[in-house]
Amino acid sequence: MKITDAAVCPYPNGDSSVRRLALEAEALGFDSLVAVDTPSATYGDVDVRCGLFIQNTGMKDVISQVKRVNDPGTVVSVRAGDAGFNRGVVGLKGVHILRGLHAADKNAFDHVTAKMAADNRVAVDIDLSCLISARGIARQKAIQRYRDVMVLEQRFEFPLTLSTYARSVLDLRAVREISGLCMLVGMDLPDVEKALAGVGAVTALPEPAVKVV
Amino acid sequence: MAVRPPTLRDKRRYLLVRVDPPGTTIDQKELYYAVSDAVSSLWGDAVAGIIVQAVICAEGDYVVIRCRRGTERELAIALSTVTRLRDAKIALRIISASGTIESLRDRMKPRPPPPSPDVVPEYRFFGKDYVAVHCDGQKVDVIEKGFKNTSRLFLTTEDMETE
Repeated sequence: MKITDAAVCPYPNGDSSVRRLALEAEALGFDSLVAVDTPSATYGDVDVRCGLFIQNTGMKDVISQVKRVNDPGTVVSVRAGDAGFNRGVVGLKGVHILRGLHAADKNAFDHVTAKMAADNRVAVDIDLSCLISARGIARQKAIQRYRDVMVLEQRFEFPLTLSTYARSVLDLRAVREISGLCMLVGMDLPDVEKALAGVGAVTALPEPAVKVV
Repeated sequence: MAVRPPTLRDKRRYLLVRVDPPGTTIDQKELYYAVSDAVSSLWGDAVAGIIVQAVICAEGDYVVIRCRRGTERELAIALSTVTRLRDAKIALRIISASGTIESLRDRMKPRPPPPSPDVVPEYRFFGKDYVAVHCDGQKVDVIEKGFKNTSRLFLTTEDMETE
C-alpha cells in the first residue's frame, strides 16, 4: 500500500519545486505524490506521478483530453460539475478521480453516480485544503458535503482519495494530521488508510475475468 | 489565593511544535491568537474552553503549546489548520507531546547558522537569479534577487544544479 497525496501543485503553479515537495512529503510520511503537469519520476523514496487535472470544460473537451493522454501512468482527474456531467465523467474510461465535490451542487453526486463510480472504479477526492484553510460557512459546507459522500461510500464502497492541493511545502500535512482532519468528515482509521491508498487502487490494472492457467 | 495541592490541579500536556519556514520571527502573543482562533473556529468556544490552550514558550523555530490532558488530539487537529501568523504564511509541525516541558527541550534541535552576509550563495533557477535565505542539507529556501519580489521559493540543491 502506497500512502499518496492525490494532488500537489509544484512550481510554477506553486512556490516549491517538485523535488522539495517530495523531500518534505517523505519526512511527513508519504510514499508518493500526484503532481500537476509534472513528468513522472522518483525522488528519494517518493514516487511522483504525473497528474492531469481537467476543469471548467464540457463533456466533449473532457473526452478529447482523456483521449490525448499517452502516458499510462498519468492520473486523470476531472472537476465535478452538475449531476449529468458527473454521471458522464464517472462512466468515461480513462478517468481516475472526480474532484471538487465540496464546491459542486448539493445533488451533483447522488446514489446513481455513486453506484457508477463503484462499478467503474472511479475515486471521489476529499479536498483537505478547504478543511485546512477555509473558515466559517465555507468549511461547514465542505464538511457537510463530504459527510454526505461518506454515507454513500459506506453503502456503495467506491474508492476515495485524499488531496492537500499543496502549492507550497507549508501546505503539506503529516499523515497523522490528515487522519485527524478526516475524522471531521466522519472517516475512521481504516477509511483513511484505504483513502490514502486510493490512487494506487484506481490506477492498478483490473484483474482479468479469465485467468489462463 | 492559596495554591492548590498537586492532586487537585488540572493535568496538563505540552506539545512541541516546529514553526515552518525556518527563521520565521515568532511573536508569542500573535501565535497565541492564531492558535486560539484556529481552535475556536474548528471546535467552537465550548471545546476551546475545555482544551485551555496556551503558548508557553518560543525558542528558535520551536514553540511549546499547553493543553489539558486528553485534548491533545483536538489541539493537534486545530494546529494543522493554522496557516498564517499575521501576514506570514506558516505551518505548525507537531514534533511530540509530553507531560513536562523539560523533556521536550531535549528534542529541540539548534537552528542551523544563517548564510554569512559576506558570502551569500546565489542561485539560478528558471532563468532568474536568487539568493539563499536558509540552507539545511538538501533544502534551500531562496528569494529572488532585487527588491521587487520577496516571496520565498522552496527548492533543493539539485534543482539549482539541473535547471
